Amino acid sequence: MKLYAYCLTEGIDSPAESLTGINGSTVRLLNLNDFSLLVSDFAGDTVPVSRDNALAHAAVVRSVLDQTTPLPFRFGTLVTQQQLENYVTTRRDALQAKLELVRGCVEMSVKIIWDRPWTEEPPVTEPDKPGTAFLVEKRRELLGSETRAEEAKKIARWLTERLGEAVREKEFRANSTDKLLLTAAHLVERSRVEEYRSLLKNARLERPELHFLASGPWPPYSFANIDLEFKS
Amino acid sequence: MELSPETPRPAEPEIETSHVEEFVEQLRCVTDSLPSRINIDAQSVEQGLAKLVLTLIEFIRRLLEKQAVRRMEGGDLSPEQIEELGLALMKLEAKLHELKTQFGLTDEDLNLDLGPIGRLI
Amino acid sequence: MSSPFDQVIISESGGELEESELSLLETLDHVLNRGLVIAGEITISVADIDLVFLGLNVLLSSVETANDVLRRREASDASA
Repeated sequence: MKLYAYCLTEGIDSPAESLTGINGSTVRLLNLNDFSLLVSDFAGDTVPVSRDNALAHAAVVRSVLDQTTPLPFRFGTLVTQQQLENYVTTRRDALQAKLELVRGCVEMSVKIIWDRPWTEEPPVTEPDKPGTAFLVEKRRELLGSETRAEEAKKIARWLTERLGEAVREKEFRANSTDKLLLTAAHLVERSRVEEYRSLLKNARLERPELHFLASGPWPPYSFANIDLEFKS
Repeated sequence: MELSPETPRPAEPEIETSHVEEFVEQLRCVTDSLPSRINIDAQSVEQGLAKLVLTLIEFIRRLLEKQAVRRMEGGDLSPEQIEELGLALMKLEAKLHELKTQFGLTDEDLNLDLGPIGRLI
Repeated sequence: MSSPFDQVIISESGGELEESELSLLETLDHVLNRGLVIAGEITISVADIDLVFLGLNVLLSSVETANDVLRRREASDASA
């Protein structure tokens, strides 16, 4: 029997309410060392990636947010108790450090769309030269993606400046679609969320050509990885 | 370790935008490339190796493309050389795509989604 | 191509349906592909590869940056 792990927190006494997790299972608290983990029993080897399961995962992690700021596990984390014990033991310091970083905070999220052409007009090429056409098209794409990347960096810097001290930590994510330029995650102290919102609102007015989606507060999904992190 | 009573309780996540359709369209890509079942733990060793090798090759391929474009721009290649170079790179791209498909990997799997702010895993 | 989320309501433009689809998609974007990762027994060997993978990314990233720097220098030399 495996365990499905939802999130990890500093020691808490009990989950706030009785929760239903993925596949309708019951969620319980597992205390390991100084940490508390929310888990369910799970029969099976793989987790169906369904809407209901994803929402259940989100709801369980969200439920803890009232008491403390959790570190969410990645959706689909199916492990044995032994693996969990090993994990919290070997990663103890890093987990403590991460919990300290996110303590008292929530994640606020911003997505920015800029709907504009990134490439110049396609040039006319000779029909019997497919190799040349290929390179010409590559050139066009490359120039376009360079422009796009530079603009995204500029916007990321601008946004960071505008939000200032209200943000404790920030993460930017690469996007694979053409129009969605930037996804930003901001770690914001709970008491500063209104300040953050107000700063963001003002910033948006400065750039009418950009389309914003703001969401939050979330548990700190984007700040919860301890192994796979780069500061670029 | 618990929050003090004065700390405001966070509300349910609100989502706010003036461009619902646009964002729905862009975010649908999130769900398009999902597997139907996940086990984070049980990725096969083979696929791990394939990922590694293909990432390297794909990276080199993209560098080659960039180099080729620069040389074409630089004006020191004849039209025939440009055509030959382009054809070779076309074949390379097609071959790599074939390999990716064989192993069931996407560009995102190869972490080659080289977005604006560096490469993030 | 069918997706596990086919039961999501695909709505026409505007209105409550689309807003709730947006809400779902935004939630999914947060929940999926983010969070703590545990390397288990089966993945220890893969984790070694993943670690190499990580190192590789840093390497590739620096090659890419170096390349860009060279290119920019080329361009400014040419115009000098």
